[in-house]
Amino acid sequence: MKKVVLALAAVAGLAATGVQAQGYPTRPITMIVPFAAGGPTDVVARIVTDNMSRTLGQQIVIENVAGAGGTTGITRAAQSQPDGYTIMMGHMGTHGAAPALYPNLKYDPTKDFAPIGLAAGTPIVIVAKKDFPANDLKGFLDYLSKNADKVNMAHAGVGSVSHSTGIFFNSVVKAKPTMVAYRGTGPALNDLMANTVDFMTDQIVNVAPQIQGGNIKAFAIATPERSPVLPNVPTTKEAGLEGYEVSAWNAIFAPKGTPLDVVKKLSDALMKSLDDENTKKRLLELGGVIPSNTERTPEALQKLVESEVARWTPVLKAAGATAE
Amino acid sequence: MGDFFSNLSLGFGVALTLQNLGLAFLGCLVGTLIGVLPGVGPIATIAMLLPITFGLDPTGALIMLAGIYYGAQYGGSTTAILVNIPGEATSVVTALDGHQMARQGRAGVALGIAAIGSFFAGTVATLVIAALGAPLTRLALIFGPTEYFSLMVMGLVFAVVLARGSILKAIAMILVGVLLSTVGTDLETGEERMTFGLPFLADGIDFAVLAMGIFGIAEIMRNLDHTETRDVVQQAIGRLLPNLDDFKQAYKPVLRGTFIGAILGILPGNGAVLGPFASYTLEKKIAKDPRRFGRGAIEGVAGPESANNAGAQTSFIPLLTLGIPPNAVMALMVGAMTIHGIIPGPQVMTKNPTLFWGMIASMWVGNLMLLVINLPLVGMWVRLLKVPYRLLFPAILMFCCIGIYSINSLPTDVMFIGFFGLVGYMLIKFGFEPAPMLLGFVLGRLMEENLRRALIISRGSLETFIERPVSAGLLAVAAILLVIALLPSIRKGRDEVFTE
Amino acid sequence: MSTLHEGSGPARPGGPVRAPQNIAGGLVLLALAALALWLTQDLDQGTLNAMGPAMLPRWLAIAVGLSGLALLAFAFIKHGDALERWNLRGPVFVIGGILAFALTIRPFSFGTLTTPGLGMLFAGPLAIIIGGYATPEARLRDLVILSLSLTPFCMVLFGDLLNLPIPVFPQALTGLFPSDWSQKAVLRATAAILAVAAVIVFLATRSRHRGPIDVADHSGRI
Repeated sequence: MKKVVLALAAVAGLAATGVQAQGYPTRPITMIVPFAAGGPTDVVARIVTDNMSRTLGQQIVIENVAGAGGTTGITRAAQSQPDGYTIMMGHMGTHGAAPALYPNLKYDPTKDFAPIGLAAGTPIVIVAKKDFPANDLKGFLDYLSKNADKVNMAHAGVGSVSHSTGIFFNSVVKAKPTMVAYRGTGPALNDLMANTVDFMTDQIVNVAPQIQGGNIKAFAIATPERSPVLPNVPTTKEAGLEGYEVSAWNAIFAPKGTPLDVVKKLSDALMKSLDDENTKKRLLELGGVIPSNTERTPEALQKLVESEVARWTPVLKAAGATAE
Repeated sequence: MGDFFSNLSLGFGVALTLQNLGLAFLGCLVGTLIGVLPGVGPIATIAMLLPITFGLDPTGALIMLAGIYYGAQYGGSTTAILVNIPGEATSVVTALDGHQMARQGRAGVALGIAAIGSFFAGTVATLVIAALGAPLTRLALIFGPTEYFSLMVMGLVFAVVLARGSILKAIAMILVGVLLSTVGTDLETGEERMTFGLPFLADGIDFAVLAMGIFGIAEIMRNLDHTETRDVVQQAIGRLLPNLDDFKQAYKPVLRGTFIGAILGILPGNGAVLGPFASYTLEKKIAKDPRRFGRGAIEGVAGPESANNAGAQTSFIPLLTLGIPPNAVMALMVGAMTIHGIIPGPQVMTKNPTLFWGMIASMWVGNLMLLVINLPLVGMWVRLLKVPYRLLFPAILMFCCIGIYSINSLPTDVMFIGFFGLVGYMLIKFGFEPAPMLLGFVLGRLMEENLRRALIISRGSLETFIERPVSAGLLAVAAILLVIALLPSIRKGRDEVFTE
Repeated sequence: MSTLHEGSGPARPGGPVRAPQNIAGGLVLLALAALALWLTQDLDQGTLNAMGPAMLPRWLAIAVGLSGLALLAFAFIKHGDALERWNLRGPVFVIGGILAFALTIRPFSFGTLTTPGLGMLFAGPLAIIIGGYATPEARLRDLVILSLSLTPFCMVLFGDLLNLPIPVFPQALTGLFPSDWSQKAVLRATAAILAVAAVIVFLATRSRHRGPIDVADHSGRI
């Protein structure tokens, strides 16, 4: 018995130097989604990987490792074996805002990853309670500048998309509403619908049904073009606000050092998935924006990450300094 | 009223198709098995089974996922009763008297009454959702941060009443529980509190980890203490199912529990968690002999279990009618719906009536199936108790480890059940009860967040809690309850000060 | 929270101390309060208008400390329970089993040291066998059979049927099987081997340990 145990232990010790598999992938691939199951990023990950699994001939298993605004999961994924069997779904927060929000971050979004490609973006919408005394963005900004101390802005917790994009909004329009934190978007929306708080900025997938149902009103969508899900909501530019265009993008990364041919295989599978009618339909129903062919490449993703880190760091640092 | 029946018949038309019946059964069966395994919660399972449902139509998929949810609720009570490990906040109360009943050889009765009470509560809750779902939605919007804070204060007073021994110790435990809930990143400022700089504490202590440690692991350590003394009550396993006397004792608590649980379940801020506690408090207060509670009182199982299931059911109301998930499981259901191309929101009821009413009808079908699945299983579970303890506890230990690991894939979570097990063991040795601490922990976070929110919105005015009528009413109830709880012990004189 | 008071021993309720258990309990509460106060000392308390992160924990810590003091005071006034005897064997082995599981289920690094990730295949039996020794009645044979039968059960249940992303076995293990076998096939084969091993151990060692397992002794005690 003892001998068997020893032998098995010895075999286990070989794990690191184990046989390099030919013809990747030969076993299921784990995708770490750094947020709780059921959230917007998780949903995008599941929709996109459904088709990718079929292309690759191996199941992509989603592992939700939530915590610290998604940085717990990304840290773990970044430190895993770069063999293509652990990949991750990063997003605007983990690969854009995190360096500014978490001073002790254990990874560098621009250096520690092998980008695979952009999966989908979900636009940000500026929404307010339905009793709000303004009906368009202009009136809203007007009210905001005159009643700065009266207005409450909801967000889904430090590090969430609604928090980062909200701070960004405030810095663009130079407003200082009172920030009210919630644990997640659900409770924040509930209080918005109950007229307890005044406005927030959040991803279209979370707010669209409430806008359509007339429970809250939307002032503008922060994309260059209107969304087919909310055709009546003007873009920020149309509504007269320059410089506020954000979307909560989701993108697939592998740890740094992943072999190039593996990256290529994954990237090709992602491209194919995004061209699939079924994937497209599902993403569009969510209000998602599907990246164009040139935006999907690993190179384009690397550029996006660099520009996002450069954009968020000063905005969030400045807001942090004023919050103290 | 005509609408009510036409809606229900539309729903049952959907739910009773062969495919949907099969899916409901499968969901309930998987859910029960998962609920029974300590630690493996419905969240991990639903997340893992999501891809399997891709091939189904949305209604069928959601019926199956919902089945897993209430199946897990049922199964969770089984573990709480048999091995004193509450998998969720709502089954903490069940563990109190349910496990005592099991120790007295009445595990079958406890399991049986839990299943039957839950079925009754589920039936009533289904009817409530069908008849009043839409109008009740407005209740959710009355509850703002101010009202929630007051509701949580009332909940903490329940915890005092819940306690069996010294009231002073119970209050201390509640405070410790609330204190523990403040560990982690501060929601408003993002600053870390009391985390020792450890990354895995940044999001606070996980409820499942705390509960499994304090209840489950500590229970194992305590049982091992008594190995030498063998203070085992030698008795037969006893009846497998409740008899007429049991029903006579239990039916009123079931009715009251159903009512309380159904109302609290509608609240969007996870009010359902209060249901079992409220029901237990009520039963203990109106009982002729409150000392039986905590020592295997059947009312202490029947009431809270009914409240639990009624709440589990009605917590679908905010999801179905508003599209707002009241808790993590419901958030996952939102994800499941969106993956299937149905964005939950106020329009689901009008845009997808077959889905909406089909799901509601399937809730009742699911409850019936759970009764059918669970009653025969009672005999099997009870027989499990015959396994020698020296073999049973290592098995429980391993299931706990796997279960906790499966929640977040964090080895540190596993280590923490060991740590909290030791803490729980110490607490038992020093005569503290863990239940009030867990309740303090569950309510603490909600309480702090809502207190701060309410004060931010009122710009620092404490009067907001009295000015708003619902909040003032809840605080008044809390004050009255507290006085009633403290009075007897104060009156009894010095020898019994602070003991019930 | 981890202040141990094992040294206090079962003092007889005599002298000024009438409730030794409450003395210990009170001291624990005081220590906990002090710890919380110390940990929150650098945090901002804020104002009612904008409560800081430290406001609630600090007041709670003070309240916990006051309860501790009250408990101490009452220990001198009224009679209470004596301290129970502490049994170290239970906690030590139970926690040992849990730690063994946590350290081997996946690679875990503290500082420069990293444990190998062995998966459920090894972590499970380790938890059962180490944890099993928490009782003086432990028998190695029974624990080995238990772990050889429960581990494959859990592997199939969690890894195969429920598809939970839990490491089941070290990756190197696949090298022992034909290369065209899928992950699931390896899992099932390993589980089958373990189950067969359980039966073999059970049959092979049956003669040495005669007598049925005493069921009655433990029934109902859980």
